[in-house]
Amino acid sequence: MELTRRDLLKGAAALGAAAAVPLTAGGPAVAQTTQKKELITAQSGDVSKFDPHFSTSSNDIRVSFNIFDNLTARHPDGKLYPGLATEWKLEGQTTWRFKLRQGVKFHNGDAFTSADAKFSIERTYDPAAKTMVATVFSTIEKLETPDASTLVITTKKPDPLLPARLAFYGGQIVPKRYLESVGNDTFNAKPVGTGPIRFTSWVKDDKAVFEANPDYWGGKIDVDRWIMRPIPETAPRIAALLKGEVDVITQLPPDQGERVAGNATTRVAGALYAGLYVLAVNSKRPPLDNPLVKQALSLAIDREAIVKELWRGRGIVPSGCIAKGDNHFDPSLPPLAYSPAEAKDRLKKAGYKGEEIFIETTVAYVAQDKAMSEAIAAMWKDVGVNVKVEVIEYSVRAQKNREKSFKGVFWSDPTSTLGDPDGMVWRLIGPGGPQDYWREAKFDELGNAARFSVDEKFRGQAYKEMTKIFLEHFPWLPVIQPYEDYGLQKYVEFTPNPNQQFEVRRFNLKLRRA
Amino acid sequence: MRGFVPFVGHRLFRALIALWLVSTVVFVVMRLSGDPVPLLLPPDAPTSEIMRVRRELGLDKPLPAQYVIFLSNLARGDFGRSIHFREPAFDVVRGYLAATLELGLTAFVLAAVVAVPIGLFSAMRRNTLVDHVAMGLALVGQSAPTFFLGILFILLLSLKADLFPTSGRGDWRNLVLPALTLGAFTMASIARLTRSAVLEVLRADYIRTARAKGVAEAWVVAKHTLKNAAIPIVTITGLQFGTLLGGAVVTETVFSWPGIGRLAVQSIYNRDYAVVQCTVFLAALMFVVINFFVDLIYGVLDPRIRAG
Repeated sequence: MELTRRDLLKGAAALGAAAAVPLTAGGPAVAQTTQKKELITAQSGDVSKFDPHFSTSSNDIRVSFNIFDNLTARHPDGKLYPGLATEWKLEGQTTWRFKLRQGVKFHNGDAFTSADAKFSIERTYDPAAKTMVATVFSTIEKLETPDASTLVITTKKPDPLLPARLAFYGGQIVPKRYLESVGNDTFNAKPVGTGPIRFTSWVKDDKAVFEANPDYWGGKIDVDRWIMRPIPETAPRIAALLKGEVDVITQLPPDQGERVAGNATTRVAGALYAGLYVLAVNSKRPPLDNPLVKQALSLAIDREAIVKELWRGRGIVPSGCIAKGDNHFDPSLPPLAYSPAEAKDRLKKAGYKGEEIFIETTVAYVAQDKAMSEAIAAMWKDVGVNVKVEVIEYSVRAQKNREKSFKGVFWSDPTSTLGDPDGMVWRLIGPGGPQDYWREAKFDELGNAARFSVDEKFRGQAYKEMTKIFLEHFPWLPVIQPYEDYGLQKYVEFTPNPNQQFEVRRFNLKLRRA
Repeated sequence: MRGFVPFVGHRLFRALIALWLVSTVVFVVMRLSGDPVPLLLPPDAPTSEIMRVRRELGLDKPLPAQYVIFLSNLARGDFGRSIHFREPAFDVVRGYLAATLELGLTAFVLAAVVAVPIGLFSAMRRNTLVDHVAMGLALVGQSAPTFFLGILFILLLSLKADLFPTSGRGDWRNLVLPALTLGAFTMASIARLTRSAVLEVLRADYIRTARAKGVAEAWVVAKHTLKNAAIPIVTITGLQFGTLLGGAVVTETVFSWPGIGRLAVQSIYNRDYAVVQCTVFLAALMFVVINFFVDLIYGVLDPRIRAG
């Protein structure tokens, strides 16, 4: 029998259509408990560095905050708890006395003492070390170790946020003796900390294996071993979860949440990101140096639509430059407005002559970046903006970021590292910060004063005024404060941390056993 | 076998020339921008580092001396230091080689073992249902994007049918889907090519003669047809194998397979030129070695080549 090519193609199309039917896992009874003693997680990229002072990428900090401890710890509930420091007191305006935990050992057996704490913090801003976290402790004047279990930190000016600074990246405590004896490179290859997990092995782009630290001061974690697998593509990562090959996946896109939630054995858990997704603006480039233009650009963005359509409702519309959940977030401020009519009006007032405005977007560096860029470009075109979207590769973005050479606006996901505006908007767009493209005298004066004041009322007022100035000049165009979702097997009891830490310590992660 | 040693020697000499050319190209490209040091070190490297690398590469010496140093470093396996991983580039690449070879070899063997008989059978049963189905599948295999095939296999054969793991490297079960995905294009090419080559041969006079002599059909196929069709089949197969080893980046990404294709692309993004240099050279080396063996096999298959 002779088949024609047409018959074959028809058959192939039918096969294709059948395969495209969405999959619902029927199958086994709901797996609410397990006997597993091993935790397997999958994230979208491999670890790049184990040395905690050399990377702030979310794929790295998920691991480094578990190999290492900080003096203070930020739990998923947003509060600060004791870590390697059991208590701390402010003495006078600029002196903090930390009482350190006794009997703690590094993974190689060395005892943890104040010398390690002093060494770790000083290392971050040591010019010879060239760490990635060199500006985290710029408020510190000096550190003293009157005895092995006491650390005294003196700040240059009053710094109400010092304990919060110690809780985040840069504050991980590393072993002085071990590091000095083996050097940075070996330390990076074979990290040693005090944390609940010990580094065991790493096959690049394949898996990293960690063993539970049986003597951890916070109690041994609920599993004996943690295996972290990088699965860069979203579909295989989700497939691995649905099939039960992994227990937890990170970076679950909002449009896949229904699939994971609808599956009998898995669930979705998310935390409102402690930060914002913004289009940062190179305000030095005309016409972006004109505040009226930036106001127009902000008014033209239909954020509700973006949250509803692109994020399936998994996010909120920001009201300014302070993330919800932070100190001094003003709940009375309305969400950023959408009004194409007013946007057109502002553009006219600004004398906008159709100059090109560039959106330089990456793909999947900030979640949904490309999709949001295309949506926003369409919205801007609707009000008469001559917008051009250019896709750039991550390393190009990194270079432009270093050289501050962006052509227009670019995506950024500033993290609120301290639960306070000082750790986000001031850290990034303050003078000398990584996104210093715009200066305004009053804004700078307030930001500085707020950083060094211990009067929370004063600080609240200062940030209120700074927000007003921000909403006039828009050095950032805030777009969304999203939920960052994880996919979990139902037997995993885990609460996500808004600041992207992946907390495996006993108090936060358990596998429900029969 | 009198001509064997000169035959092998000749091929070996050509292989070495090819390798030398590749290394020269790498040398020239790295120095095209003038100073290779910014490519090999992070932008904020201390002056002492910069001086050390300049010394090691002999950058203070004249170009011919630099070239000699470069070649001798290459021979020792010294490709420089990975900025991203902070260890010797060669050590980084070496960690990925086993996975690449495992996947590449499996995909290749699978492709060859499946495709050659299918192509042969299709040719023998030209224009029947078997032929049309086989060539139809081959068309799909050659046109379907690797990414699409890979995800499709994961969804159908792993998630739905629960036959294989979804991704990652492990035991033999983890190899099947990535090998099928990677080998699909090769399998399809070899099947179609085998069919054409066999059809060509079947038209030849000596086949008609053999049949006229009353030789059994199976023997016609085995002895006469295959041996003569082998040359083009071996050629394509050899070339495909080389591509499989270096070009598996999409398959490796979909299946989280830790191979050098993915490493090369990531290193380009990371501007980690020492690793890129190393992967380029090692991929070229593998390609040259495979082609060397393909050349040798020609000699075995076709005495005319051996003599000439």
